[in-house]
Amino acid sequence: MEERLYDLIFICRPDTPEAEIDKLIATLTHAVEEKQAKVEKVEKWGTRRLAYRVKKLREGFYVYMVLRSSHGELFKELERRLRVTDSVVKYLTVRLDEEIKRQEKLSNRREKRNARRPRKTAPAAPGAEQAATAVG
Amino acid sequence: MADETRAPQQHSPSHHSSSSSGGRPPGGGPGGSRPPGPRRGKRNYVRKKKVCRFCVDKVDLIDYKKPEILQSFVQERGKILPRRMTGTCARHQRWLTIAIKRAQNIALLPFATEL
Repeated sequence: MEERLYDLIFICRPDTPEAEIDKLIATLTHAVEEKQAKVEKVEKWGTRRLAYRVKKLREGFYVYMVLRSSHGELFKELERRLRVTDSVVKYLTVRLDEEIKRQEKLSNRREKRNARRPRKTAPAAPGAEQAATAVG
Repeated sequence: MADETRAPQQHSPSHHSSSSSGGRPPGGGPGGSRPPGPRRGKRNYVRKKKVCRFCVDKVDLIDYKKPEILQSFVQERGKILPRRMTGTCARHQRWLTIAIKRAQNIALLPFATEL
């Protein structure tokens, strides 16, 4: 099966010690690698203000991970772990590979078009001028 | 607005071909009966054409992790602004709503402001 790209964000209570968050990240990473998946990136965004109150909290410690996996099952396990962990107040997993594929396709198409007609701006300029005089 | 002013101009050469529309710049004014300058009607302003901001910046992927960008497409109370207000094109608006809803889910954007 092809590999898919996922975003995983979770929010911890702001009063959790950093060591505990690191430990949580380590256990998640371990669970990911057990299923032959990869952790592409781990980012700790730090304490941010929440847009609304979650479990009576106004702030939260955000952790952002990018995962590459071919097992959808893995996320059941990860989400179960996050749910069970008391310090985690909210989490979100988003599958992103299809959107990124679309983005690459569009970018490639744009590049190709620009390569084919590099002097697209030159004939457009007098037309824009005309339009400007017509309005003014 | 632009369409309204241009529509009568297309008719004018057929009605009186020789007199008018000779040296006029395109879109200068309808017919010729009305004096130039502001119109007498209620809407005597030219509405600025809104352009999709994502198209201008050539955005192919709207990132839900950047609430600063999404914030400007949301009302103060948290509602998503319609296309007619922001000028976003249909395709980008479609992506934008998805991004906003994801951001709401992870508390980067509010569903509604609290009292």
